[in-house]
Amino acid sequence: MADASSETIRSGEPIEMLLNMGPQHPSTHGVFRMVLWVDGEKIVDLEPHIGYLHRGSEKLCEGEQYHQVITLFDRMDYISNFNNELVYCQAVEKLMGLTVPERAEYVRVILCELNRIISHLLYVAAIGLDAGAMTPSLICFRARERVQTVFEAVSGARMMHNYFRVGGLKEDLPENFEDMIGELLPLLRDDVEESDKLLTFNEIFLARMKDVGTISADDALDYGLTGPCLRACGIDYDVRKAEPYSVYDRFDFDIPIGLDGDCWDRHYVRMQEMYESLRIIEQALAQMPSGPVTSSLGRRLIRPPRGDVYVRAENPRGEIGVYLVSDGTDKPYRVKVRPPSFCNLSALKHMVKGAWLADAVVILGSLDIVLGEVDR
Amino acid sequence: MTAAIPVLAIGLLDVMWIAIGLFVLFGALSFVVLSLTWLERKTLGRLQRRLGPTRTGPMGIIQPLADGLKLILKEDIVPSSSERAIFWSAPVLVIVPAFMIWVTIPASHDAVLRNLDLGLLYIVAFAVVGILGLVLAGWGSANKYGTLGGLRAAAQLISYEIPVIMVVISVAMLAGSLNMREIVAAQSAYPYALIQPLGLVIFFIAGLAEVGRTPFDIYFAESEIVGGPFVEYSGAHWSVFFLAEYINTFAIAALTVLLFLGGWSGPFLSENWVIVWFLLKVYAVILVIFWIRGTFPRLRIDQLMAFAWKVMVPLSFFTILITAIYKFYEWPAWSLTLMSAAGLLAVGYAIYRRMVGPAHRVAQVRARQKALREARLASTQSPGGTTNVV
Amino acid sequence: MLYSLKGLLLTLVSTFHGLRQPVTRQYPATGTLWKRRPAPTPVQPRFMGFPALTWDGIVDEPYCTSCMVCIRQCPTQCMSATMKDNPLNQDGRSSRKKIVETFEINLNRCILCGICVEVCNFDAIVMSHEHEMSTFQRNGDRVDLPALLEIGMKFQAKTSWIPPTELAKLAEKNQSGGDSQDPEVAAASKEPDGEPDG
Ligand code: SF4
Ligand code: SF4
Repeated sequence: MADASSETIRSGEPIEMLLNMGPQHPSTHGVFRMVLWVDGEKIVDLEPHIGYLHRGSEKLCEGEQYHQVITLFDRMDYISNFNNELVYCQAVEKLMGLTVPERAEYVRVILCELNRIISHLLYVAAIGLDAGAMTPSLICFRARERVQTVFEAVSGARMMHNYFRVGGLKEDLPENFEDMIGELLPLLRDDVEESDKLLTFNEIFLARMKDVGTISADDALDYGLTGPCLRACGIDYDVRKAEPYSVYDRFDFDIPIGLDGDCWDRHYVRMQEMYESLRIIEQALAQMPSGPVTSSLGRRLIRPPRGDVYVRAENPRGEIGVYLVSDGTDKPYRVKVRPPSFCNLSALKHMVKGAWLADAVVILGSLDIVLGEVDR
Repeated sequence: MTAAIPVLAIGLLDVMWIAIGLFVLFGALSFVVLSLTWLERKTLGRLQRRLGPTRTGPMGIIQPLADGLKLILKEDIVPSSSERAIFWSAPVLVIVPAFMIWVTIPASHDAVLRNLDLGLLYIVAFAVVGILGLVLAGWGSANKYGTLGGLRAAAQLISYEIPVIMVVISVAMLAGSLNMREIVAAQSAYPYALIQPLGLVIFFIAGLAEVGRTPFDIYFAESEIVGGPFVEYSGAHWSVFFLAEYINTFAIAALTVLLFLGGWSGPFLSENWVIVWFLLKVYAVILVIFWIRGTFPRLRIDQLMAFAWKVMVPLSFFTILITAIYKFYEWPAWSLTLMSAAGLLAVGYAIYRRMVGPAHRVAQVRARQKALREARLASTQSPGGTTNVV
Repeated sequence: MLYSLKGLLLTLVSTFHGLRQPVTRQYPATGTLWKRRPAPTPVQPRFMGFPALTWDGIVDEPYCTSCMVCIRQCPTQCMSATMKDNPLNQDGRSSRKKIVETFEINLNRCILCGICVEVCNFDAIVMSHEHEMSTFQRNGDRVDLPALLEIGMKFQAKTSWIPPTELAKLAEKNQSGGDSQDPEVAAASKEPDGEPDG
């Protein structure tokens, strides 16, 4: 109906309006700019502009020693810091052929999964706001605060932890960690369930999200989507299962998938992933061995042998890959990151074309990008 | 000439009284708006397990004053490419109708400026004028978001005006009058909410859309068009829009109370104090509005229009129909309740089927998918080794 | 429809929770406008606030020998220091040959990573619990030695701080197990910096 009329109008003379969304716009999740050509409320075309948050992280890595680079990885995807630290540490460890103590691996998994949960919670908060609901965001931030307090007790910082080290951890968990996390997990589950109930099956939310921003599985693979965005299309690809790293092969968890690859499926997959992460944490806590958490490396200056290595891991946003080249000195020769958000963002144009103006916001939200990682 | 003087004198006196009345009304409404902003912050805060304002006075009670002061002292920015005249006049066009409605809304039997015989017609007529101001505001600010917002406002408000009018007509049919006082008097036995629940729901939802509250805050959707018509306004001019919005919210709540919840009638209070009942009811309705705001996301503009024309308008016609049948055959009151509730349930079920049906199906398919995947994983793992890449 | 109503119910319940026990923590003070009680943010014991220098109460001098390790290892290069001969060492009261003369940290640039604390071999620097240090000047947070020592001493007093190396020694004594790893670590950690007086 609307298509026919807009076709006839367009055949006369172009009445497209150019609309600049961002870089300062409440729902572009940072400093992202979309140049939209709209026909009334329908989006005809879109041109994404990135780079407003470019800090040259990859280049900066070349000037820092190996243990200093961890701080830069913290800041790349600033929502899932532990996951980022993990993949970098794994890259260096692989290059040096180090094995990490058991306990350290378990602590890493627990922290990474907690971080996955709070990253997804931030997504829920953002999508709630994008869709116009403000209460889920506050529920999610409440939960995030709780988890971050535990992070603070563990690592000393709420967000930029700098806690993982090549070959282990900075220091062991605090003594009261068991109590803290025992207290945290039920509350966290409550909060996740609360935001789930408030949003996922709400009729208005369904109307906004279902059949919006659909992408087929083939297209998703072509665009290089990973993480929840790919799994929403029905492909059960998760690095934790496909190529288990750390100790992920010891846990029993499912990979939630969607069917249609629309915004709602992406939302649903993330919601389910939080429950799966909680399952992993519970198992990891039950299995956690005692022992050292640092390798024999100690605080020594790291000089990995010459060579290069590519390591990947499952971030909350998708598959992150780190390509590390070492020339045998104390600084990496080259660090290249394959950021999941950047690759996921590439599908935005495909999804947004022909959608409504209000959908663009929701689609961008459902891709769950972090601009710090897109621009690096 | 000599005969004209006493007429003029009376006229002057009259004008003076009206001026004083308007002044009092304006003061009262301003106070109401202040109380509403405070209440909204507090309610939303508690709803989200926050505190809301706390610093300004006990329980943050003078927060609205602080806000007002800040808004007035703020620099009033006029975009250089805007249409000055339209830009300046738009807020006035929004606030004046919002304010004029209150001329004939009675807060109790006597607490009204002018009780018109055609009060309802007057209210409905004036409510539409405000749209013009919104469209002009969007257009005059020479901002694309503003324009989009103004056009959205025009589409939305005009569509939802129809169900409002229809339901108002059905109420007028029940009461046999357009006079607010008589409508309230007609509800002395039972409030119309009991015999016309469908009407109440339609009126309330359409009213939410009329004043642009969540889930219908589409024309100034913060996350999409960043404030719509108001995007370029700041300081005092913005606060005028703000004022109008809250006065309208209050008006919709008041009309809901007057038309469906029995107005100021209530037990325990003497004739002079019934206004307390009115205020209590209105604030209760407003709390419900805030409650809805704290719960729901926002619809999309096309869904909003579809909802208006596919659900609300037919339903409002249905309301008139059942009211007419009820009046014509003079059936007992509960028959209308039954008919109305049946309509309500039918619509609720239809929405339920349309929205949650797919969700359930998706969940089922998902469970099947999971079983399939587990089967496949089990088969890939048994030969040994983990698969590398899918 | 059903799920919307469920949502409404949920927010209603949440409202009652909110009325009973809101989760907001007031900052920096609670109470009303005229009756304020300070309410500082509680921090966890490991919290990493701004770095500060520690004071050796036994010999009455800073721990820091200005060995420059932390300065070289800082990812943001926000510190600088100079050293001098230690007068107390000449008196024989202190075992430190060199001592810090000036020390400056630009806290605006510091990213609170904690690397400086990790690499210091003299227990001379700590991540204090100080985190509210905004100033009105552009470079108002370039803190010098006395200020750093003051923050450090506050931190030491608050947490009854024991130097980490002594803690490690204590732990070793308690364990009294043949820990082959520790000497190696100590040797390794000394490797990159060189002796302060070298
Ligand atoms: S490493 Fe320790 S002793 Fe050396 S300069 Fe830094 S704080 Fe002072
Ligand atoms: S905490 Fe990190 S950034 Fe700050 S002074 Fe220490 S090493 Fe430098």
